[in-house]
Amino acid sequence: MTGTMLAAVANVVRAELFKGFRKRRFYFLAGLYWVLLPAVALITATVLDHNLGGSFADQGGQIAQALQGFASPFGLARLALMAPALMSPTGYIIAVALFAGLFIGEERTQRMWKTVFSVQPARMAVLTGKVIAGMIVLAVLLGGALIVGTLAGVLGTLFLPTTFAGPWGQVAGLFGLQWLQLLAALLLAYLLVFLVRSGTLGIILVIFLPALLEGLYTVLNTLSVLRPLTRYNAVFQALRLRQAWQALPHYFFNANLYAPARHLLQPFLQSTGTPQGADLGPLGNLLGQGITLPHAAAVMAGYAVVFAAATAWLVARRDVE
Amino acid sequence: MTAIAAAGLTKRYGRVLAVDGLSFSIEPGEIVGFLGPNGAGKTTTLRMLAGLVRPSRGGCRLLDRRVPGPSLREVGTMIEEPSFYPYLSGRANLRHAAILHGGVPERRLDEVLEFVRMERAADKRVRAYSQGMRQRLALARALLWKPKVLLLDEPTNGLDPAGIAEVRAALKTVAVQGVTVLISSHILPEIEKLVERILAVDKGSLRFDGPLQGLLGAVGVNTVSYELEAIDGRALLDALADMGLEPSPHGDAGARVAVPEARAPELLSGLASKGVKVLEARRGAVSLEDAYLRLVGAEGRPS
Repeated sequence: MTGTMLAAVANVVRAELFKGFRKRRFYFLAGLYWVLLPAVALITATVLDHNLGGSFADQGGQIAQALQGFASPFGLARLALMAPALMSPTGYIIAVALFAGLFIGEERTQRMWKTVFSVQPARMAVLTGKVIAGMIVLAVLLGGALIVGTLAGVLGTLFLPTTFAGPWGQVAGLFGLQWLQLLAALLLAYLLVFLVRSGTLGIILVIFLPALLEGLYTVLNTLSVLRPLTRYNAVFQALRLRQAWQALPHYFFNANLYAPARHLLQPFLQSTGTPQGADLGPLGNLLGQGITLPHAAAVMAGYAVVFAAATAWLVARRDVE
Repeated sequence: MTAIAAAGLTKRYGRVLAVDGLSFSIEPGEIVGFLGPNGAGKTTTLRMLAGLVRPSRGGCRLLDRRVPGPSLREVGTMIEEPSFYPYLSGRANLRHAAILHGGVPERRLDEVLEFVRMERAADKRVRAYSQGMRQRLALARALLWKPKVLLLDEPTNGLDPAGIAEVRAALKTVAVQGVTVLISSHILPEIEKLVERILAVDKGSLRFDGPLQGLLGAVGVNTVSYELEAIDGRALLDALADMGLEPSPHGDAGARVAVPEARAPELLSGLASKGVKVLEARRGAVSLEDAYLRLVGAEGRPS
């Protein structure tokens, strides 16, 4: 990348952040994520401590252990990472869709592409800058949640039986990994907005399309089990396609995307009494059981490369209306 | 050095040929009017020059460098309806553009806002702007980084007469500074007052390229227009037709007619000899609009 290109990318990043931080939706989302979640956790912990602390239910300090799990500084930091990944649609994908709407979708709805590409004709610089700006805003959102959660937990130590203890390095690393993996989701959102030529539809698609495709797989998988043996599915099985078909969920977008955030859920469940290795049923799928962090990172890197290449091709070639 | 050059510029959308082998070149500092009816290919041509649309064939150069390329950083554009971020103020929109482009000092924002007389409204959100204010702000944005070339598509759209005159004066000022301006407009009298040269396109093809006076000559304008009023309007129209002219009725007892310049002196005597009593005769210059409408034919309408 030449110096001129780097300067152009830096200009785009600055311009997009100038615009992005003047948008109310960012503060609204950040407010919900940073303040509401710790507030609800602290209120719940206070009620729990007040009503059950020292009671017959608190044999062996179980209440204190539970409070340490979700209302301590570490617990709230962990909750800030996990909670968005357990919503449906997830808080992460909602944030990605909103920022894609801000940085890419809006250019279409406000007919700004002709202006943006006239002012900054280096299209790859524009795309790169918009991706970096999106990642910076996501970093602020996640980093803010980590900091506010921690501070709320510190506040909680004043009136709850909680301490600062916890594997902080791990949770910080998982925040970082989750943030990196959101790059694939952001690129998918940008790609879809470009592809369907509609800001609104692109944003809706990024929330629902991966889940829709993965749901479709589940339906097909179920139907294939019910089907009688024919020469076609005999060939299908002989070619070992079935194994590949069965292994497909390990490469699903959603299962891998949220792997870092959901990684902490199992130790959290253990802290509340669930034995290690227990059959969690449908919850196991939610946790992405069998998907390791390196596997998830590699899969999401693959998605990111594909989405980035497709988006770059579209941005470089498409006529601006 | 050539400021703007197009060579065989062609754009096809499916079966529709929007621009068909357009070739022209514009020297630095020229102000050139770009005329053509709706759908003639003006905006598509401007979009190709601005690097927004890829030509199907042929190509264009700005400041002797290929488009798309770095030369586009030297270009200011207003293409079709101006677009802005509505939730930002006019000044914030300009600042965003300045940051995006790079190398624009903060004081330049005030300069361009003053230049288009938008200092007072600069801190209001753009969603509250009138069409005219948006046009002015778009012109300010196009001038922000002191471009060497301006590509303007209907820049006076939505402006009141005073605003049009101000934009005209502003464009003359920037042209004096050596900026090349290619301007399309449907307000032909404005083009007439502004440009030295005309590019006229129709159905994607170049129909005329030359100085304004050349366009008048090219459409056989050695004619002069007259507005006549007589006691008997019917007799006036008949007499003009008898003289081999093509009059059109005007008012209650009047007519408009184009007369070959050589025959102009004998018009009134000819009417008198046919017994037509002329009360009033006004001679007008042939306007660009007349010449242009003749060039693009009866179906052509200024766009």
